[in-house]
Amino acid sequence: MSFAWTSKLALAAGLAILPATAWAQSVNISYLTHWSPETVALLEAAAKDYAKANPDVSVTVRAVPFGDLLTTLRSQGSGSDGPTIGGIYDLWLPELARDKLVAPAPDAVASEVKAAWPAGITSAASVGGALYGIPNEIDVYALNYNKALFKQAGVAAPPKTWDEFKDAAKRLTNKEAGQQGFGMINSWAAGVVHPFASLLVSNGGELVKDGKPALDSPQATQTFQLYEDLIKSGASVPAMATADANTTGPFLDNFVSGKTGMIIMANWWESALKTGMGDKFADIATAPIPVGPSGDKPHSISYSWMTVVNANAGVAEQKAAWEFLAWLNNPKSGRNGASAMSDILMSMGILPSRLSDIDAHKDKLGSEFLSGYVSVLTDAKPFPVVPGGQEFSESLQQTLEALQYGQVSAKDAQATAQADATSILERAAK
Amino acid sequence: MIQRYRASAGIMLTPAVTLIGIFILLPMLLTVWLSFQDWSTQTPFSSARFIGFDNFREIFGASSVGRDFKGALTNTAIYTAFSIILILPLSVAFGLMVYQHDVAGGTALRTVLFSTYMVPMIAVALVWSKLYSPSEGPLNQMLGLIGIGPQPFLSSPRSALVSIVLLNAWQQVGYFTVLAIAGLTQIPGSLYEAAKLDGANRFEQFRFITLPLMRRTLLFSAVIAIINAVQVFEPVALITQGGPVGSTNVLTYHIRRVGIERAQGGLGSAMAVTLMLSLIVVVCALFALANRKDQE
Repeated sequence: MSFAWTSKLALAAGLAILPATAWAQSVNISYLTHWSPETVALLEAAAKDYAKANPDVSVTVRAVPFGDLLTTLRSQGSGSDGPTIGGIYDLWLPELARDKLVAPAPDAVASEVKAAWPAGITSAASVGGALYGIPNEIDVYALNYNKALFKQAGVAAPPKTWDEFKDAAKRLTNKEAGQQGFGMINSWAAGVVHPFASLLVSNGGELVKDGKPALDSPQATQTFQLYEDLIKSGASVPAMATADANTTGPFLDNFVSGKTGMIIMANWWESALKTGMGDKFADIATAPIPVGPSGDKPHSISYSWMTVVNANAGVAEQKAAWEFLAWLNNPKSGRNGASAMSDILMSMGILPSRLSDIDAHKDKLGSEFLSGYVSVLTDAKPFPVVPGGQEFSESLQQTLEALQYGQVSAKDAQATAQADATSILERAAK
Repeated sequence: MIQRYRASAGIMLTPAVTLIGIFILLPMLLTVWLSFQDWSTQTPFSSARFIGFDNFREIFGASSVGRDFKGALTNTAIYTAFSIILILPLSVAFGLMVYQHDVAGGTALRTVLFSTYMVPMIAVALVWSKLYSPSEGPLNQMLGLIGIGPQPFLSSPRSALVSIVLLNAWQQVGYFTVLAIAGLTQIPGSLYEAAKLDGANRFEQFRFITLPLMRRTLLFSAVIAIINAVQVFEPVALITQGGPVGSTNVLTYHIRRVGIERAQGGLGSAMAVTLMLSLIVVVCALFALANRKDQE
C-alpha cells in the first residue's frame, strides 16, 4: 500500500473514531433554577471551577421566574432533553416522585446526606424512605419590622403576643401617609399561606395533622379572626399587598419604602431588602412570630429546597449530575470549610441546611437580620409535605385573599378552607 | 370527466387534509377523549381510565375545583366582552381619523397605532405593571395632578381585570384599526358624494353608509378579537398570576395550572373542551346574527 493510501485510510479511521470518542467523553448537563441573574452568575462560576477538575462535564444554568419553575419542570422534565438538575421546593417532591420525574439519589449520596444534614431536612427530601434530592437551603419565617417607623409611632419593642401585635399594627398605621401597620401578601401562594401558617402554629394550631387538614381547630378560628381584625381595623391594606411572578411587587415596594411597619417573611428576602433599601436596610430588624392566646411560645413555618435529578435524563447525564451536586454541596468546594452551594445561598441571605455549612458561616449567620431567623429555627415546624400540597396551598391562598379583601367573613373563610383542603387532600391521596 | 375531476381534486386536497387531520383534528379529538378520562399528564395515554362525565361534573360542581373553574370562565367572559366593547369602537374611530386624507399626520398616527401591536407582550407587561404601580406609578401621579386619589389598578379584585383589558386594548387596537381602514377602502366614494348632495351630514353618512357597509369587516374583527381575548395568557402570567382573589384568573392560565402544574390532564382537558364549545357557540351566534341582519 502506498504512503498516500495509508495516510488516507488513517485519516478516515481517525475521523470515524473522533466523534464517538468525543461523545463518549463529554457530558452536558443543565441546571434549572429560579435564582436572580447575580446568583446564577455565582452558580456558573462554581460550575467553571468544577470544570477545571472535570473537563469532560459541561454545566449550563437556566433560570425561570419562580412562578414558572414547577411548570417548566413538569413540561420539560418528562424528556431526556429536559433540565438534568432542578432546584425544587420540598412541597412539590411527593408528586414529582410519584410521577417519576425525579430520580432517587445513589446510595453514596444518600448516605452522605443522612450523615451531614439534620434528620428533619433529610426527611423532607425523601419519599417512602428513599432520598430524592440533596437539600440545600432552609427558609423560616419571622417578623420583620422597621425600627424607624416603630420609633416614630412610639412602639418600644417588637410585639411578643397577638394583643401587642394588633396594638403595634394600629399605632403604626397612618392612613394620611399611606402607611399600614402590618403588610399581608397576595397573588402568591406561599407568600399568602406561610405567614398565616406561622401565626397559626404560634397559636398552637396546625395546618395538617396526621395527614388530614386541621383548619377547623379553635386555634385556626382565632387566626382567621386575627386576619379579619387587622383588615377591618385598617391596620393591613390588601391593595398594598400584591406580589408578581418574581415574588416582588407592591408588597415589597411598600416595605422598602417605609410604607409598611411589619411583615412576616422568610430570610431569603434579605438580598431584595438590601437592594431596595440601601443604607436604610439598617432600620430593619427581625423578631420571633408573636404568640397567640392559645400558643405556648413563638413558632414558625419552615420549608426547604433541594436539588433533584431528572429521572428521564440519560445514565451518563444522571451520573454526572449527582457527581456535580455532590461536589457543589461538599465542604471542600467553597471557602473556609463551606460548600460552594452554601456560599451562593449566603449571598442571598438564605440559610444553608448542611450542618458543616451552618458552622462555617456562623459569623454571617450572627448578623442582626439573620440571627433573628437562626434563633427561631429550633422551634420551627415544617410546612406539611403531602400529596396535593401545592393545590392545598393555592386553595388556602384564594380563601385568605377573599378574607383580606372582605369578600368573606373569618367564620366562612375557615369553613371554606377546611372543606376545600379535605376534598383536595382526599383526592390527591387516592 | 367528472370522475377524473373528482379524483384529481381528491389527490390535490389530500396533503392539506392530512396535515389538518394530524395537527388540528387529531389533537382536538384527543382532548375530547381525555376529558372523559382520569389521567395525569405525566403518565402515558394508556394509563387513562374512563370516568364518563365525572370531570365535567367536577368542574361545574361546588368544590374548589368547580369554584375556580367557574370563576375563570366568568373572568374570561368579562375580559372578552370588555375587550370587544373597547377595541371595536376605538378601531373604527381611529380608522376614520386615519382614513381622512385631509387630516395632518394621518400616516404618522397609523404608524404609531400599529407599532403597539408589534411590541412584544413581555415588554408591554413590564411597562404597564410599572405604570399601574399603586405608589410610584405614573398613572396615579397623573391622576393626582387632577385631584383624583391613588387607584389600586392591579391590586384590587374590582379593578385588576379591567386594568388587564385596558392593557390589551392598548396593544391590539392598532391591528384592528388597520382592519377597519381596509374595510373603509371598500366603500365607494360616490356613495358619500351622493349623500352629501342629498344633504346628509357627517353623522348621517357614518350611520347610514359607513357602518352598514363595514358590517362584514366588523364581523371579522369581532371574531378575531373574541378569539384573541379568549386566548389571553401572557399579561396574566407575567403580571398578576391570576390574582388578587382569582380576579384575573382566566381560563387559559387556569388550564395551564390544572393541566400542567398539577398534572391533572383529565380535568384540564374537560376545561379546554368547555372553553372550545363556548367559543364555537359564541362565534356561531355572531354569524347567525350577522346573517339575519343581511337577510333583513
